[in-house]
Amino acid sequence: MTKYSLNILIAVFAILLLSMAHFRFIDSYIQIVVMTIGINIMMATSLNLVNGNMGEFTCGHAAFMCVGAYVSSVLSVFCFGSKFGDPLLPAASVLIVFPIILLIGGGVAAVSSLLVSVPSFKTRDDYLAIISIAVNYMIISALENMDFIGGSRGFQGMKDTVWAMVDIFDGPWMMFWVINFTILTVWVIRRFISSTYGKGVNAICQDEVAAEIMSVNTNKIKIINFMVAAGLAGCAGGLYAHIIGYVNPQSFNILKSTEALVMVYLGGMGSLSGAIISAVIFTMLLEVLRSQAIIDGLMSPFTLVFPDWEPSAGVIKWVMIPLLLVVVMQFRPEGIMGNRELGDIFPWLKKFYRFK
Amino acid sequence: MLLSIENLEVKYGNIQALHGISFHVNEGEIVTLIGANGAGKTTSLYSICRLPPPEAPRVIAGDIKFHGESILKTRPSDIVKQFNMALVPEGRHIFGNLTVMENLEIATYSREKGTNFDEEYQRIFDLFPRLHERRKQRSESLSGGEQQMLAVGRALMTGCNFLLLDEPSMGLAPLLKYELFRTLKKLNEEGMTILLVEQNANLALHLAHRGYVLDTGEIAAEGTSEELLGNPDVKKAYLGG
Repeated sequence: MTKYSLNILIAVFAILLLSMAHFRFIDSYIQIVVMTIGINIMMATSLNLVNGNMGEFTCGHAAFMCVGAYVSSVLSVFCFGSKFGDPLLPAASVLIVFPIILLIGGGVAAVSSLLVSVPSFKTRDDYLAIISIAVNYMIISALENMDFIGGSRGFQGMKDTVWAMVDIFDGPWMMFWVINFTILTVWVIRRFISSTYGKGVNAICQDEVAAEIMSVNTNKIKIINFMVAAGLAGCAGGLYAHIIGYVNPQSFNILKSTEALVMVYLGGMGSLSGAIISAVIFTMLLEVLRSQAIIDGLMSPFTLVFPDWEPSAGVIKWVMIPLLLVVVMQFRPEGIMGNRELGDIFPWLKKFYRFK
Repeated sequence: MLLSIENLEVKYGNIQALHGISFHVNEGEIVTLIGANGAGKTTSLYSICRLPPPEAPRVIAGDIKFHGESILKTRPSDIVKQFNMALVPEGRHIFGNLTVMENLEIATYSREKGTNFDEEYQRIFDLFPRLHERRKQRSESLSGGEQQMLAVGRALMTGCNFLLLDEPSMGLAPLLKYELFRTLKKLNEEGMTILLVEQNANLALHLAHRGYVLDTGEIAAEGTSEELLGNPDVKKAYLGG
């Protein structure tokens, strides 16, 4: 019974969320926030695979999200949109084809991760970070110069796919897919980390030379690890594109990568549950600080001294969040969870689910 | 001949570290490479194992043969797998964040899955009873000697029959040193071939069957241990008079 209790709990929670969205108990804004949390969980956990579990330092994770977003958007417009001529597939097939489109986006993103993983054979630490930033820029610039998919103006038309799903059944489809893919991501990562490859990843994180003499083929493990991480980020990108209905290369720039990095470091390196928790906290915090009233309250001591100053929430938000990171790094440098999992802190949870 | 090195020339960047050395190791032997700092002892070991960058030395001439087959094109991780060879690197390179047991488990990485390794773990713990006491401890927290034991134990867990050791006695108290060397002797009696790189020439030559003296990338002297211990030049340079 305890073995399945978590699965049942998640299923009940998901159904509750979906029915609440379906019957309009939660409005579109809350729905978008919930979906963003899901996407951020995917981004944080997949980046955690590289930065936390393998101990490499990459900060261009949004590049893979970008590849996934564009590939799945273009495919979905080809299949169900009218932008490139008549849709290739009948609208009825959308429920089967849509997840496949997302997975193809993830697959192409995984292949594009070779741009980082191959140089990582010989470089590490700061140098790999520079390479990953360069790859991020390469991909954004390449897409900005592809006029047939909108270039820097961005690309849209994916909503046709979503409407096709709504035509079949009028429900919160995107939330359904986000929940499923988030669960898939966590499951894949947990399986990967507890496999033999996971052992190799752990060995590379600790000591690359020792890993190699313990017969771990470090190059192979690095390629696989980067591919899994980038593939999952690609799926997240595909979902993101379909939720917003519009993608622009600049929405996947270094800021987006930094967001993912912040979530990983906030949660704790190498902790899967930490990445999930921090993704939830971080996304909520971003939304809470969007409120002008809260920012006004927080800034009231300063506005008393400088009465002419009217701080805007959109700007101050990006002062508060990096400040939070500074404070966390100062007083708890290992992040919320360190490299422990929830089960290590609350042992009774181990009965229900082991993150490792 | 298990391993033969033929006219090996090796460069680190622009610096030539080995100027054409040749030596060989027969099955079941203990062979030692001795020499001063910078003589090229570690370089020879790393060339055999072809360690990944930035440690990787570049072989510019010569050949390394294992059972008569060149291994210069093989990946380091495959060398361990294919030739049952295990390196105990200088500075131990243990996985500090993992427990002793987890360190030993990682060593079974490329071995057949589903095999029961309990007997082998037991063998390691028989050789090094200290490790058994501390098997649940983070290996970072072990003392230097225990870490060295763990490094040797971990190498043994790869299922090797050829052990390469790089300065195993470095930083160990004399008693621990003797204990470690006794263990190596025991392993050799059980059939393990050992190539030992060591600064402590006296200790190494008393353990080994044969030895090579390296000097600035060349072999200065070679012979059985007795010959080398009796060699006046070697005596003067490495054995302290």
